[in-house]
Amino acid sequence: MDYNAFKELVVRAAEAAGLKDYELYYSAAESTSVSTYKHAINDFSSTLEGGVCFRTLVNGHMGYASTESLTEDEAEAIVKRAAENALLLETEEPEFLGEGGGTYRELPKQEEALPDAAFLVRSVLQCEQMLYDEDPAVIDGSGATAGTESSTVAIYNSRGIDLQDSRSVAFFYAEAVVSDGEKMSNAYEVKTGITEEHMKEAVSKSVEEAKQKLTAEVAPTGSAPVILSPGAMRSLLAVYSSAFSAENAQKGLSLLAGKEGTAVASPLVTLVDDPFYPESLFPRAFDAEGMPTCTKAVIENGELKTLLYNLKTAAVAGRKTTGNAAKAGYAAPVGIRPFTFVLKPGDKSEAELLAMADGGVYVDELQGTHAGANPISGDFSLQSMGYLIRDGKKAGAVKDFTTAGNFFELLKNIRALGNTAEKDKFAGVSGFAAPAVLADGLSIAGK
Amino acid sequence: MISKDICLKVLEAASKTGADYAELFAERTVNKSVNMLDSRISAVNDRVIAGASVRVFKGLRSVACSTIDMSEEGLLKCAKKAADALGEGTAEISIVLRERLFGDIHPVKVVPSGVGMGEKAEILKRAYFAAKDYDPKIVQATGSLLDGDRKILIATSEGIFAEDRQIRTRLSISAVAEQNGERQTGSCSPGTRKGLEFYSEDVVPENVGREAARQALVMAGAGYCPAGVMPVVIGNGFGGVIFHEACGHSLEASSVAYGVSQFAGKLGQQIANEKVTALDDGTIPNAWGSINIDDEGTPSHRNVLIENGILKSYMIDKFGGRRMGMAPTGNARRENYSYVTTSRMTNTFIAAGTDTEEDMIASVDYGLYAKSMGGGSVNPVTGGFNFAVNEGYMIRNGKVAEPVRGASLVGTGSEILMKIDMVGSNLLRAQGMCGSSSGSVPTDVGQPMIRVSSITVGGR
Repeated sequence: MDYNAFKELVVRAAEAAGLKDYELYYSAAESTSVSTYKHAINDFSSTLEGGVCFRTLVNGHMGYASTESLTEDEAEAIVKRAAENALLLETEEPEFLGEGGGTYRELPKQEEALPDAAFLVRSVLQCEQMLYDEDPAVIDGSGATAGTESSTVAIYNSRGIDLQDSRSVAFFYAEAVVSDGEKMSNAYEVKTGITEEHMKEAVSKSVEEAKQKLTAEVAPTGSAPVILSPGAMRSLLAVYSSAFSAENAQKGLSLLAGKEGTAVASPLVTLVDDPFYPESLFPRAFDAEGMPTCTKAVIENGELKTLLYNLKTAAVAGRKTTGNAAKAGYAAPVGIRPFTFVLKPGDKSEAELLAMADGGVYVDELQGTHAGANPISGDFSLQSMGYLIRDGKKAGAVKDFTTAGNFFELLKNIRALGNTAEKDKFAGVSGFAAPAVLADGLSIAGK
Repeated sequence: MISKDICLKVLEAASKTGADYAELFAERTVNKSVNMLDSRISAVNDRVIAGASVRVFKGLRSVACSTIDMSEEGLLKCAKKAADALGEGTAEISIVLRERLFGDIHPVKVVPSGVGMGEKAEILKRAYFAAKDYDPKIVQATGSLLDGDRKILIATSEGIFAEDRQIRTRLSISAVAEQNGERQTGSCSPGTRKGLEFYSEDVVPENVGREAARQALVMAGAGYCPAGVMPVVIGNGFGGVIFHEACGHSLEASSVAYGVSQFAGKLGQQIANEKVTALDDGTIPNAWGSINIDDEGTPSHRNVLIENGILKSYMIDKFGGRRMGMAPTGNARRENYSYVTTSRMTNTFIAAGTDTEEDMIASVDYGLYAKSMGGGSVNPVTGGFNFAVNEGYMIRNGKVAEPVRGASLVGTGSEILMKIDMVGSNLLRAQGMCGSSSGSVPTDVGQPMIRVSSITVGGR
């Protein structure tokens, strides 16, 4: 059955069970993707997925249960399971459901229809051909993937919230694999909106990057000025955004706890959370508790202005929610995340940054952040690729080195910021944007 | 889950446009978890994952469609979508389904779904408070006890009609120690493919908590690891993540079949030091990464990947096998129905050798002892990998010296495999979740203690 029919059954079951405070959170996505290998379609996939999370307050505790099986039996079962789960909880902080009646920002409607499968097929074959035509070093294994995704999220609760939002996106990526006869290397570029112009850009960028990586040498070891590219800085922001969660701060899992109103970064640093960031593919007028969202400075000129709050953590702190309730998947408990976390750009061109970092290293890419960066201590030591900076210019490409430091020290050691922020291309609701950053105090380890 | 008759109808509908292979995969999984934070039960959750996918091949082309509508109508619609996407043609295969019975080599005594969440919470609390009460410097801890009950059905045009039930449980504790205003963490997360008897027969919950706390305390007192190229001795158990990242992913058909692996075309050649023998074995009874059959219905195998340094085998799924002209090896896996199955690891480890731990440490004048490893990642095209050291010590003059924090190891798989020049005898496996294109699947990594003659250590 569809979600609306299932919702009615769940509401009926909840009322029959005598539950007064409850909420349904629904998310669903329909996606299609096509990819190539050696001038032919290699695989085509189409996914229809979705599920419902039911949560209810019993004796002041919030019990959860979720299902992807939208059947009559399950409608009764999730109500029962959620109520039972609530009875085991021992938390002391009061829990809340969002109250209806808030004012929500109107989001621009999406007009364009998504491309059909035939268009995706034509596009990937064309894009792959462009990769081969771009450079003789391009070898088999290079290819393109294109796809579409439509997602819906809906929240309904017994307090009067009844919200729904649907968004869709078409994307593609070109992956170049190049060889010099001995070594191979690869690079890819993602774009949203499948146009010939985007393809040209993606093809030339991925081929150029892959070729540069092919020539990369192992970097020397030492401590030198480091420029983190917009992408590298975004990787760090993504890991350490959890330190800005009031929930982590209240549970002793963030070193930013108790630092609101104090300087935590260089005066050059302003960090904003923006649910309506122009480049975001998934702008949101309401958060995962159905509360209105807003744009706010988290760090302003180095001072920590606010952490990110949901209803529960705001009540503990005696303040209002910032509208940052979030779920990592429909079945997850309500937590906290930024929407688009934007490190505001500074005033330096890339040439000026490079001149300031002469003799140092430009870190283009950081990898393995899920393992090599500790979100609690702030320590990171990450596999990197990039360039040596010689005579104020990007010189030889370097690889297989690590960039190590501590995120909280890095915030204080930022000496300059580039003048353009770049956003991650294909992010979900939570995304990141940053300029290039020149920082002192980072260590480079190579040969 | 779905009757044989309906399976047959779905496969016939899927192969109507000329597929030479059709497959229906259906799943109903119940995952339950209980979590602790701040010394209290903070979350209790359960989730039903239910859906199906239809996949068809024609030559070297694959189409996969998935749905959450498991009614006959929903499945037929999904099959038609797959058939339509494959193109125009007429049915070329005839299908006869035969029930396949596989022995279950992973006996379960205490089925988690038959045990109340309250009882599971008690097991978790024993582990949690053992961590929290370990030392006054332990300022916070988090914990979870998970169990999963995954029922799968696979029907294929080759005639396979098979079902399996995969029961798993895992206990995880993470502890935070504070010293001089800085915080460090330690963790321990054993898991198994069996029932809750794991916590009475194999693992003492309190020991899990104590291990997490001990590691956090050691690291809280540690200085930063110096950077540079040096010999590294890597401890047994989760240390095997080095093989998983440096080599395992590059032996999966998902990169080998397309020629974009550093080890493509190297069967029979030496790719590792002759001391290295490595296996992927999905048949180990009750091991976390074990399976009776894979998600394409192929029985799981014990595959020798590398024998005395010589590359012997890849890990192959059906579609990858078509390109490679090789048979599947029982490694086709997916997180759930919504991911497209591909070749993945099961329990992958370096086999025991003959060196002693004492000799390995004593052989190093100046280097790193990576006692406990964290996760890592790899680019199979270049072989470039990285992983984090959770608990490390300097080795000075052949002896284990002071603890160091913030270290990571980076390098290239093909180089590092040649540099594993000592292999100990104390083989141990440890549990992890491996992420790749077909989602997150449970895998074991493992090894005895090994020595890598030189590797780049990231630190400062």
